[in-house]
Amino acid sequence: MQYGMIIDLNRCIGCHACAIACKAEWDVPADKGRNWVHRLGPAKTPEGLASTYYPGLCNHCNQPACVDVCPADTVEKTFTDGKTGQTKTMQVAATYKDPFNGTVQIDQDRCLGCGACADACPYSARYVNKDIVNEEIGGEGIADKCTYCMPRVEKGLQPACVQTCLANARIFGDLDDPDSEVSQYVKKGAVGLTSTAVSIGPNSRYYGNKKDMHLLTSTSTPTGMPAASLRRSLLARLKPEMKKVKNLGMLGLAGAVVLKELSEDEGK
Amino acid sequence: MSIKMTRRKFLQTTSLAAASIPLAKVVSAETGFAPNKFTAPGSAVATETVTGGVCEMCFWRCNVVGKVRDKKLVKLEGNPKGIDNGTAICARGNAGIKLLYDPDRLKYPMKNIGERGNPKWKRITWEEALDECATKLKAVETKYGAHGIAMFPHGASAKYPMEYLENVIGTHNVSEASFFQCRGLRDTGYMATFGTPPGENVDMANAKVIFLVGDHLGENVHVSHLKRYLKGLENGAKLVVLDPRYSASAAKSDIWVQIKPGTDTAFMLAVMNYLLEKDKYDKKFVGERCVGFEKFKKGISHASLDWAAKICDVPVEQIQEVADLLAANAPNVSIHPGRHVSWHGNDFQRMRAQGCLTALLGAIGVPGGFVKPKGPKVKGIGWPKGEHSGEHNLRLMADKHHYSPPGTPTDLIREACLTGKPYPIKACVIWGQNPMQTIPNQQKTIDALKQMDFVMCVDVMPTDITMYADILLPEASYLERYDYIKTGTQWNFADPHQQFIAPRMPLVEAMFERKDQVWITNELATRMGYADKIPVKSLEEKIDKELATVNLSLEQIRKEDGIHLQPGKDPYGVAEDFEVLLYNEDLEDSGYPGVPTYIPVEETPKGFARLVYGRSPVHTFNRSQNNVWLNHEMPVNPVWVNDDVANKLGLQDGDEVSLVNSEGVVSSATSIIKSTPGIRKDTIYIAHGYGSRNPMMTAGFKKGIDDQELITKLAVDPETGCHGMRNNFVKIVKNGKTLDISA
Repeated sequence: MQYGMIIDLNRCIGCHACAIACKAEWDVPADKGRNWVHRLGPAKTPEGLASTYYPGLCNHCNQPACVDVCPADTVEKTFTDGKTGQTKTMQVAATYKDPFNGTVQIDQDRCLGCGACADACPYSARYVNKDIVNEEIGGEGIADKCTYCMPRVEKGLQPACVQTCLANARIFGDLDDPDSEVSQYVKKGAVGLTSTAVSIGPNSRYYGNKKDMHLLTSTSTPTGMPAASLRRSLLARLKPEMKKVKNLGMLGLAGAVVLKELSEDEGK
Repeated sequence: MSIKMTRRKFLQTTSLAAASIPLAKVVSAETGFAPNKFTAPGSAVATETVTGGVCEMCFWRCNVVGKVRDKKLVKLEGNPKGIDNGTAICARGNAGIKLLYDPDRLKYPMKNIGERGNPKWKRITWEEALDECATKLKAVETKYGAHGIAMFPHGASAKYPMEYLENVIGTHNVSEASFFQCRGLRDTGYMATFGTPPGENVDMANAKVIFLVGDHLGENVHVSHLKRYLKGLENGAKLVVLDPRYSASAAKSDIWVQIKPGTDTAFMLAVMNYLLEKDKYDKKFVGERCVGFEKFKKGISHASLDWAAKICDVPVEQIQEVADLLAANAPNVSIHPGRHVSWHGNDFQRMRAQGCLTALLGAIGVPGGFVKPKGPKVKGIGWPKGEHSGEHNLRLMADKHHYSPPGTPTDLIREACLTGKPYPIKACVIWGQNPMQTIPNQQKTIDALKQMDFVMCVDVMPTDITMYADILLPEASYLERYDYIKTGTQWNFADPHQQFIAPRMPLVEAMFERKDQVWITNELATRMGYADKIPVKSLEEKIDKELATVNLSLEQIRKEDGIHLQPGKDPYGVAEDFEVLLYNEDLEDSGYPGVPTYIPVEETPKGFARLVYGRSPVHTFNRSQNNVWLNHEMPVNPVWVNDDVANKLGLQDGDEVSLVNSEGVVSSATSIIKSTPGIRKDTIYIAHGYGSRNPMMTAGFKKGIDDQELITKLAVDPETGCHGMRNNFVKIVKNGKTLDISA
């Protein structure tokens, strides 16, 4: 099973309800978004004058760039298939791809808030929510992003953005099920935003007429993978140490200097 | 789970200074809440669903339910029982909780101890506030008469106090922005043609052609309205859009007519003349239902395609293409009546032309045409109508604007304020409206207010107009009070016929000292000596009594999850006595054209572009500027300028600019350039509802450009007295340099 979302640009009217419903559902900070709408154009395309929207969200990628960069210690986690009851046990850091439903999720209890995953995402689908902290670990916030509303879906509800869409422009379902509406859209030509450099199997896909799709893909496809942030991952590795020693002096001189530099860097 | 809300977040939302008090014990003075232990978000867990909400982030009023946790509303959703908006609500509807808990919201009655426009606020008790309001209003009533009081109302909550002023005190000087700066002339224009106001009722869901005159559906969002529009497009309707800008609707159109602003009437006259000349109109409908055909035919015979092409600055072939498309798909054609239509001071005639075109196509009472849904009628309970003559009715006194919507045209009131003639107006009640950002020429409004003996404002938020209040009263919002009974039918007229009745019920209790309109008005009436006229003791009682007129009650509605459903009636067909006045003799007798007529607009002066404004999907008029969620979606209103023009001027996307109008008024705030081929070279566009100048609005203050500030040149529609607001011309200012647009 692989959950996915289709956004039908022929229907979308760019009202931003999806973005705001998501904010309300998940108490997203006002200046952040798990879910966004960018207005594109009017601009000339080879297919004629076009104006459309980029309603974006996490792509729950087949090869997610955000999972492997997580510096949190791994733990053993057992996943259960909601349908068959089958289980699978894996070693995961604080973020992982669910082996059964294909969604990419975050264990907020274990997130260090380092932001490495946010930096790694070529779609900028993640952010660090600085309004919440993990008291046991410390840190500056907790990484957050679209979960495809799994807590709602598990209760038989639609994702918040889908439920509120007046245009029925957002369709959620299982891409592995050939009969699902989302699969039908893929057959009709719904595509993810991929380029030669960014080809990590996005599962949020777009469908629309030629001119709108041209405008969307030419303006909103990432053209390169973000460079891994050394500073971020270093900081992330130092933080648990800080928590353990509870005294900066015990980190040793070198450690303290590194930390000071990093903190200054952070302040810039 | 060990996740906690940070102190930073709490401080951020409260601006709390006393850092030494243990956080959990502090109840925020701004939000009214103590910080909770962190609860994992998610509206589907540990919440109670409260039904009976009726949205009022805009006037469309969708049915909503609230998800409530620990007495706090955490989310709004469409009421799944609804047959209008269903589970869908728009961005603004979703953002309602950010209005509800906006830390900048008005909380207590306040007295202005500074000056009007430059206020200093002192918190006072309701007793003090009501005593002062009543004393001052009574003093003006006694000295100058009831007509010495003017009112600017807006929204569901303003109806009860408005009726008090009109029916009991007896002033005619009430001006609603929804009429005089918006749709009033549409209603009277269609009434002078069809005998009925149109609303937005056109059966787009079942149309073969949808014809939009400047409507930018998509940027202008009302849920069930757009469901009809999108259903029509999904079913294959052809979309024709007249707009100088490649709007959200133009982007979905089959034919985009890039029309010169102000000339739409000429376009429609030519289409109609062509249909008559080519025998492409509905002869049966015209023969049976239309009055004055010969005079009409003669009256528009000058309107050739060539004539219109020149005026409208569009190709002859395109006008013909539109006319042929309409004729080929008649009668299943939706000519949208529009909503905000007071554009150029020649707009009543455009409404008449739209109505006549609809009739020539026979597109009335048929699938896809002009169809009025048959909803339930619930009787209102309100103030008794007193005996008041028209003796002090400014419109009758001036013998002008004979097709005015109800109330008094705004500029007749403002002129009386400024000149004292024909009589002085010395007190002003402003309830839910922000005339500073709705009425053109702000300086005139300021001058009118400054000469008052007393100004009171009632609102949920501080706005640009509340800065001019002497007494400012905090109102309960639409989520905290009973009110307004929403009625209607299933959204798609072709579906099985159903009706609904849904009164607004509070989803949470009002916080701080906010009060509803019935309480406030009754308290004022008691103090002004009209206690015996009070029709109901509470808003709850009012709604219950109104429901009783259709054998319902609040108790019953609660049992029915907020919405009462009942069988409906077929909306199609035409009433036996329905007729269309293609030529209207009464209009001519009053000195206006009897046949729809194009009245030319002023040409754009050299070096300028015409300023055109419209809606942003995330804002309602100027009311939602401070909503932090909506604000974040579109923090400023980009200045649309044609890319060729921008290139010549050296302007690029994102450049920070201000605008200056032809009368020398410079916008107080700035915005950013949006350089695009999707707008005419002679036109500049910004979305309305930005650039508040009230610093109490910490999120919206001076964000973007206030179009209203630049609309200083007045245009008044002669038939109706409504304000045309697209007759102003602007230049772009960058880095202090004013750029000549034709350069």
